[in-house]
Amino acid sequence: MDGAPVSFLKRVDELSGSSKVRRSWFAFACAVFIIVIVVPSIFVVTKLFTDWGLVDSVINNDGIRDTVLSAVANSFSIALVVTVIDIVVGLPMAWIMVRKDFKGKKWLDTLLDMPLAFPTAVLGISVVMFWGAPEGVELPGLGIVVSPYVMMIFLHILFTYPYMVRSLSAILEQIEPNFETAAMTLGASKWTAFRTITLPLFRAGLATGFILCFARSLSETGGTYIALTMMGVESTFFTGPSFISWLKSDTSVYSADEMMGAQILISVIMIVLALLLLVVVRKAIAGFHIPLKKVWPDLGRKLSRGPLPKAKDVLTIAFLLVVVLLPAFYIFMYLTQPIPDIDYGVLLGSIATSFLVAGVAVAVDIVIGVPMAMYIARHRDGKLGQTLDGLVNVPLIIPTTALGFSLALFWGGFGLSESFALLLVILGHISFTYPLVVRNLIGAIEEVDPAYEEVAMTLGAKPFQAFRKVLFPIVKSAVIAGGILAFTRSLGETGATTAISNTVNTVPIYITKLVQSGDYTEAAMCSIVLIAICFVIMLVLRLVTSRRSGRDA
Amino acid sequence: MPEIILDDLRKEFDGVVAADGLSLTIGDGEYVCILGPTGAGKTTCMRMVCGLTKPDSGRVLMDGRDVTDDSVDSRNATMLSQTYALFPHLNVYDNVMFAPRIKEWPEDSSKQIVRSMLHMVHLEQKAEWKPGELSGGQQQRIALARALASGSKVLLLDEPLRALDARLRINLRKELRSMAKEMGLTCIHVTHDQDEALEMADKIAVIRKGRIIQFGTPREVFEDPATPFVANFVGRSNVIVGRVVESTPEGTIVETQSGMRFPARPSDLAAGDEAVLTVKVGFTKITRMQEGQPSAVCVGTIERILYEGVTVTVEIAVEGVGLLSAKLPNRKYEEYSPGDSVGVYWMPDKASVFPMPPEGIEDEMRLD
Repeated sequence: MDGAPVSFLKRVDELSGSSKVRRSWFAFACAVFIIVIVVPSIFVVTKLFTDWGLVDSVINNDGIRDTVLSAVANSFSIALVVTVIDIVVGLPMAWIMVRKDFKGKKWLDTLLDMPLAFPTAVLGISVVMFWGAPEGVELPGLGIVVSPYVMMIFLHILFTYPYMVRSLSAILEQIEPNFETAAMTLGASKWTAFRTITLPLFRAGLATGFILCFARSLSETGGTYIALTMMGVESTFFTGPSFISWLKSDTSVYSADEMMGAQILISVIMIVLALLLLVVVRKAIAGFHIPLKKVWPDLGRKLSRGPLPKAKDVLTIAFLLVVVLLPAFYIFMYLTQPIPDIDYGVLLGSIATSFLVAGVAVAVDIVIGVPMAMYIARHRDGKLGQTLDGLVNVPLIIPTTALGFSLALFWGGFGLSESFALLLVILGHISFTYPLVVRNLIGAIEEVDPAYEEVAMTLGAKPFQAFRKVLFPIVKSAVIAGGILAFTRSLGETGATTAISNTVNTVPIYITKLVQSGDYTEAAMCSIVLIAICFVIMLVLRLVTSRRSGRDA
Repeated sequence: MPEIILDDLRKEFDGVVAADGLSLTIGDGEYVCILGPTGAGKTTCMRMVCGLTKPDSGRVLMDGRDVTDDSVDSRNATMLSQTYALFPHLNVYDNVMFAPRIKEWPEDSSKQIVRSMLHMVHLEQKAEWKPGELSGGQQQRIALARALASGSKVLLLDEPLRALDARLRINLRKELRSMAKEMGLTCIHVTHDQDEALEMADKIAVIRKGRIIQFGTPREVFEDPATPFVANFVGRSNVIVGRVVESTPEGTIVETQSGMRFPARPSDLAAGDEAVLTVKVGFTKITRMQEGQPSAVCVGTIERILYEGVTVTVEIAVEGVGLLSAKLPNRKYEEYSPGDSVGVYWMPDKASVFPMPPEGIEDEMRLD
């Protein structure tokens, strides 16, 4: 703490005293958010008007049109089924995580998040191996013959389930057990207390979880495409994003114009439907009434006593193990295979690219996300606050493939194309990771009593001093958590990257390419290396942050 | 030295008026309690003093200087929040050290100040503790030490005792006041607890609907309330509505619709005016009805007797007036029982009389 940095911070401290400076900083963050994140994400919609010809020709071509429509239909129906399953099995899981205490809970807690740290491309390989083990994969799996549709559901549950459990437990933690205790002292059975008291209070968490999972499933590209490729159906069974990937990988089937038209069409449909869904789900869940007038005390009592609650817990854990964890970790079985030759140069290069993209994206997210999160958290009641709060969700809900495609079109219009591919990929990754960082921060800042900053200022701190000496240290762990979430999300992203550029070789892209050429063992080994590196980084981050907060103590 | 003048402050939040022409002058070193019901604008008033809330119009002056547009950090007015707001990531020592560090005072003298503040609140041995490990009372004292260590001469206390146990709250009243006095601070203490205000304040400002309705010493506010509301808010009062039938320098007589007459102290009201008479329940007395008891002003039947420890409150139903209460020493508990017929009386100069408020008595007496 000497020399330049101190004087720089001091300058900022001084400047932060002026409300003009504060306002312009916030305006700047808003502008960046709108111009760099929101507008490019949905820019493709304007193509509907400027390049109608391309779209029109696709619509009039029965073959492509039907493929596009069935791909979109697949995407939405898979997302819906997956989300419903997530809710049904996620609810008891969240319950276990929040309200029960048992040995090994910490372990379970960590395990639950693990699939989030795996790039989805890796999960794609792992799931197909576990359930299907079709020809071309060296390891035996369960060998169950499942349709591509069912396989996709198995796959998508893997990376949506943790989101659902997390958002449900976040809400559950805020609902005091007092309510249920009160209901039970008034004569309600456990089950009835939960259904009539806690569940109705759950709506917000349910809406968040639903939107997160649905959007995640809708936009997933890498794992989906890899799984379909391994099953050998990548050119016959499509989801929206996998169709775009397939178009990019095999340019011989359609003409350039047809490809462009198909991509525009598919992106616009998915963006519009996803945004509509965001609005509809919010309205629907807010207006959805769980029937409360009727209680069935006998049924409630039966469900609350005897072997049923136990069975429910066992089934919940079993589901987690068999449907989520085992398939996710199955890829480690490859360690039993002879180690193949990996081109470590290319692998390390792609890892470096991935880390560069993810690192820069997360850094930018935090810098421009903090003022936004502070504003939204403290101005929830205002019009601008509510608008921004809604807008922040937009890049989260838009399928990343569509987002990437849209973004490339937008910046391409400014002459930023292939030669700036890396920059564009970073911009794309900023877009879809930004909401993760900001959402986390908003939640954390809302928890912090504004009195902390206010008191700091009455003690003589300038606004920026109050921020960096008081508010930031308090929400630091949320910043880090959001950062890790965004980082791993960026690391695992395939769809947006492919949609933006063919030349930027991130790890998931490299793995996808290996799978496409049939090198499953190499792909699996690269995945294992990547997972190992991810874990080491997360471990180090956790250690460093916990030690630092330990020293403060 | 800090003298604080609030001059005609106005503030509206989305159509809710929190300050409506609020004016107040607080002398140097005075301990002033702002007392009012919830939602009266107490906190807004305090926040305008330290700059956390900007008034829509009006001025805030400190030492004769207009500070209305000054930033919070430059005002040297430190807030003690009702949640204490001890920074959870810093230990006790660093919390108290916060202001000296921000203000970049020399390290040596800062350390000395912090040590002496911790000594003053008797918590030196807890310097290394985290706020979460302290009891409520200890947290409160650390928050005070932190505020005192900032060198501010103005201390703003936002319901500082609210979150504490009843007993502790009462003990800390004296402690808080004497420390503030020792340091020569000008204090503005916001509270809705009338006992707290009466015990701690040099002066009480009673606030309601964004206006100061009375500003005076605890005794003035208690014994000579400015409005029927103040009479009932600061120490409960019996309220009697009627018409003035006699107004002389010796006293005022109020007659109810049912024709009963009640005496009160002299007033500016003229005979025939609609009036409200209030008398503190503690000044209301009862007596056994025997023949020719001249002091009783009315007769009623005891409805209930509430045992309160040191005192008992007797509720007497008086025909044509309603329920009157009398707070008596507890030795009277055995003397009376429900159903007894008793006479109610008070010294005329203990009863205040006011003109009928324009919005009616119901609205005037509302506590929210």
